[in-house]
Amino acid sequence: MSARNPGMPLDLEWVSKVRVNTQAVLKRAQQVQGRNKNKKQWQAAWLLRAVTCIDLTTLAGDDTPGNVHRLCMKAGRPIRSDLLQSMEMHDKGVTTAAVCVYPSRVADAVKFLKAANSSLPVASVATGFPAGQTPLKTRLEEVRLAVEDGAMEIDIVINRTLALTGQWQAMYDEIRQFRDACGDAHMKSILAIGELGTYTNVYKASLVAMMAGSDFIKTSTGKESVNATYPVAIVMVRAIRDYFLRTGHKVGFKPAGGIRTAKESLVWLTLMKEELGDEWLSAHLFRLGASSLLADIERQIYHYVTGHYAAYHDMPMA
Amino acid sequence: MAGSTTKTVYDIFQSMEYGPTSSSRTTAQAWLEHQSGALGLFIDGRFVQPAGRQTCSVTDSSGSSLCTIVCAADEDVSLSVSSGASGFKAWNALDCHVRAKILLKLVSGVQRHGQCLSELCDLAQSPCPPSALVRLLQYYSGWAQLRDSLLPDWTPHGVVAVVVSDDCSLYSLMLKVIPALAMGNAAVVIPGVGTALPALLLAQLFVEAGLPAGVLNVLTCKVLSLAPKVAQNPHISYVTYSGNKKNGEMLCRATAGLGVPISLSVSVGATCPFIIFESADMDSAVDGVIETAFKKKKECQWILCVQESVLDNVVARLKVRMAGMKSVPLLAEGDRGLVDAAVQEAQQQGATLIQPCAPPPFGTSYPPTVLCGVAPSCSCVVTPNPGPLLPLLSFRSHGEGVTLGNHSPHGQAASLWTEDITLALEAAKSLAVGCVWVNSHSVLDPALPLSGHKESGNCTDGGKEGLFQFLQPSSSPSLPRSSPSSLDYAKFGTAASSAIIPLGSDSSSYPHCYLQYVGGKQCKSESGSSVSVLAPGGAVLAYCPDGGRKDVRNAVEAAIKVQPSWMKKTPPERAQSLFSLANALELKRLDMATSIQSQTGLSLEKANEEVELSISQLCDWAARCDKERGGAPSLPLSGSALSIPEALGVVGVVLPDSSPLLSMVSLLAVAVAMGNAVVMVPSPKYPLPALEFIQVLQTSDLPGGVVSIITGGRDQLTQALANHSVIKAIWYWGNMEGCQYLQHTCSSPLKNLWLHCQEEVTDGGGAWSQLPLSLLEEMWRQAVQWKSIWIPTA
Repeated sequence: MSARNPGMPLDLEWVSKVRVNTQAVLKRAQQVQGRNKNKKQWQAAWLLRAVTCIDLTTLAGDDTPGNVHRLCMKAGRPIRSDLLQSMEMHDKGVTTAAVCVYPSRVADAVKFLKAANSSLPVASVATGFPAGQTPLKTRLEEVRLAVEDGAMEIDIVINRTLALTGQWQAMYDEIRQFRDACGDAHMKSILAIGELGTYTNVYKASLVAMMAGSDFIKTSTGKESVNATYPVAIVMVRAIRDYFLRTGHKVGFKPAGGIRTAKESLVWLTLMKEELGDEWLSAHLFRLGASSLLADIERQIYHYVTGHYAAYHDMPMA
Repeated sequence: MAGSTTKTVYDIFQSMEYGPTSSSRTTAQAWLEHQSGALGLFIDGRFVQPAGRQTCSVTDSSGSSLCTIVCAADEDVSLSVSSGASGFKAWNALDCHVRAKILLKLVSGVQRHGQCLSELCDLAQSPCPPSALVRLLQYYSGWAQLRDSLLPDWTPHGVVAVVVSDDCSLYSLMLKVIPALAMGNAAVVIPGVGTALPALLLAQLFVEAGLPAGVLNVLTCKVLSLAPKVAQNPHISYVTYSGNKKNGEMLCRATAGLGVPISLSVSVGATCPFIIFESADMDSAVDGVIETAFKKKKECQWILCVQESVLDNVVARLKVRMAGMKSVPLLAEGDRGLVDAAVQEAQQQGATLIQPCAPPPFGTSYPPTVLCGVAPSCSCVVTPNPGPLLPLLSFRSHGEGVTLGNHSPHGQAASLWTEDITLALEAAKSLAVGCVWVNSHSVLDPALPLSGHKESGNCTDGGKEGLFQFLQPSSSPSLPRSSPSSLDYAKFGTAASSAIIPLGSDSSSYPHCYLQYVGGKQCKSESGSSVSVLAPGGAVLAYCPDGGRKDVRNAVEAAIKVQPSWMKKTPPERAQSLFSLANALELKRLDMATSIQSQTGLSLEKANEEVELSISQLCDWAARCDKERGGAPSLPLSGSALSIPEALGVVGVVLPDSSPLLSMVSLLAVAVAMGNAVVMVPSPKYPLPALEFIQVLQTSDLPGGVVSIITGGRDQLTQALANHSVIKAIWYWGNMEGCQYLQHTCSSPLKNLWLHCQEEVTDGGGAWSQLPLSLLEEMWRQAVQWKSIWIPTA
């Protein structure tokens, strides 16, 4: 894994010069969606790569140690081993990238993974997820507690109030403090793009989050009305490219919310390959936040291997 | 799909490469096989395979033969044109809505055979999505429906020849064929190699949709030898061409003097600026570059112009985006040498390269290459080159960006990128091109007129504006058909003039010596000599200057000094100037009437009438200044489109003999009202009213230089006008030889020609006194060129 993004002092001049042409972005998104026509082993290979980028997620009020256990076990064996074997992929370490849970479930997840002898990292959402409308003090404390419980990755939500009112300095300072609280844990900043109003604001928020030292920028919590869309992703990865061109630091990207089909996961990979290049096609720079996506990918793999279309009950449950 | 079996899932899992894309060609091949691999000509509603014709084979990109097409011979030409003539009768006799219905019915035909059509286009390497054809048909079926209600007093030409070069796209071809048919014409289509197969399929689909036999005939092979033969046929009333410049020029020369009007759309091979201002969404702009600049088959050569303040920014993004790009196959064998030479020359002049990889040492492909920092003088900027090369130039200010974009003989299109709406509109107005795409590129829609400026064409395709190409005012006489005379083009208009040194034996009756009018000043001709003007009785009435090419040069110099600011004046301001001209004429009405009377021998009453009509023409065009505007066409896309009539620049007018004052004032008024400057050559027979009119011009507030009047030999001055590159249009009343000379000469540099053979006009001048509406419309449409601006929004 390459060096983390250390961040940089807030450059407001850079932020103020941001310009995004919405229709051009929409057009580009359409192009990307029409780009990938992979078939056969190409499709299977790309789907397996998508699996390795999944942050397998459960973020529900009714999460218990029981379903978190199932999730952790599925994360370690995401694809039926007989299917992997027939593609000679059983020994290539195909697991999801991480499991992602609420702070209160971090301890459970860490325990189950350890028991299963798995080195999969546990990611925790934090900072008043999903709205971020809690005092800074408790938000910081939340990050520290999750890290203490063994979370190796923290998905923080940004303060939309500050972004919408253009208080970039204040937003930068908050994220900086979160980053300090994370310590060695990697920080993913959730921009909640559905609540930022314009693409220009999305671009600016992306830049500020990266300047403040985010390791990843993430589209949404999955709880807003608009989640990960391709156009918004184009805007965010362009900001990542811009930041890379200026500073040489590589920041990762995580779309989340509403990603359910294998086909969508292929479009996401295509988008990363087209916009940022092959390096952004692996778990250290690309994650897919999803819960039901994995089941669909597994079914597509089943089809590739057997030539049959699978029923959901053919696949082990998550 | 070689290699697909060797790659394992794990290989691909690691490399994350794209799988092979296989383009299917099965339906196209099935159709070709159904035609036994040998396509005939399409004449009179069916495929015919005349015996004993040469054939030539159509090949795909790998050079393997797909099928053969027939080389049409002289008999086929006359057969198809006479079939066209009878097809025209049947087609034009139908109700508008029947024609519209047939066009709409073809939509479902195109949709049904969409796969086959797009595969045929791919095979011929000129891709055209069926959806674009569907849109064309739907748009023009609307115009077919509305022809008689919205365009009364206009009639179709009859049988129209549509000619395209080998490298022209199917879309450009159909952008001519479909409106021609929609307006009720029959068409004889001569497609190039790239469009022959889909054009033949479409002809078949058209007949299946109910198009009467003969309305659409397709003749294949050897465009350049076939087209003049078709044009020669007296049933052909109009020839229109789309494609590259060279073939267009040759076609113009080959058809000069046939008495058939011809217009060109130079749709292939223009250089077009791609301008990125510092206020642009840089990433989207670079995406646009990547998408359009490195195509295997490019219709235009983009020149990337980037504002200096963001040059590094753009270059860095280009490098990232180009990093993964693959080499592009070159179209022709010899292209590799040309590409290498162009790159080498650019490098010698200090250009640096952006390439994803080094070019292979030999072979027929080349990596996408940006030539950074070339000078505008480098030949890769001046002339379009083959291969995926993109010159990159930088500019300092907004104004310089536009100047850089305009500094080319081409004027087809431009793409400009800025988020600043004021800058976008200002730049769009200043760019001398037919189509400006703001924050986008290559948006083609039939509602958006395409009208090449400068060397890029002399007609408008698409939109309502493009319909007039295929219509004529019901009342206007067309050029008489003739066979070209054996004109020595080099000698035309060079004969010594019949200049006379006036010998005044009786000083009291010594005829008046008139001066001509150049740049707002009265002056003698450069040659210093005069010619005599005879009264109807044969006596010498006066002497007028014997102008020549130097006088034309002076007039054009004066015109280009004032024309840009005249064009920039608001239409109401121009209207005021024309009203002041009308007032000035009113004050001089008696002098003018006397001059007409003594010159033409008309009664004073008739002469007075002509002056009155002239005043009313001036007022008419003054009033129309701010009425004849463009519009905001609707596209099936989100955004705003503008279609704007712009002045042509400097127009040369060789005036008719009939109604010498009225015809001159009418033509002057329309040209000047639309923002042009005019250089007028009065009829050598009746020049006095025009020379008398100089007094009127001098007392008006029309800026000097907007109107110049030069007298002398018609042929001599026509020759001078034809050989001045600044003059963008020539309106000519004269003899067939003059028409032939102009058609031959004005193909390079390209001019808009409006030709009239006045030997045939025997109306005694009545035509000018009551111009029908359609003729007035034609007049102002002759005085403008169209520009469309597309501003997409989300």
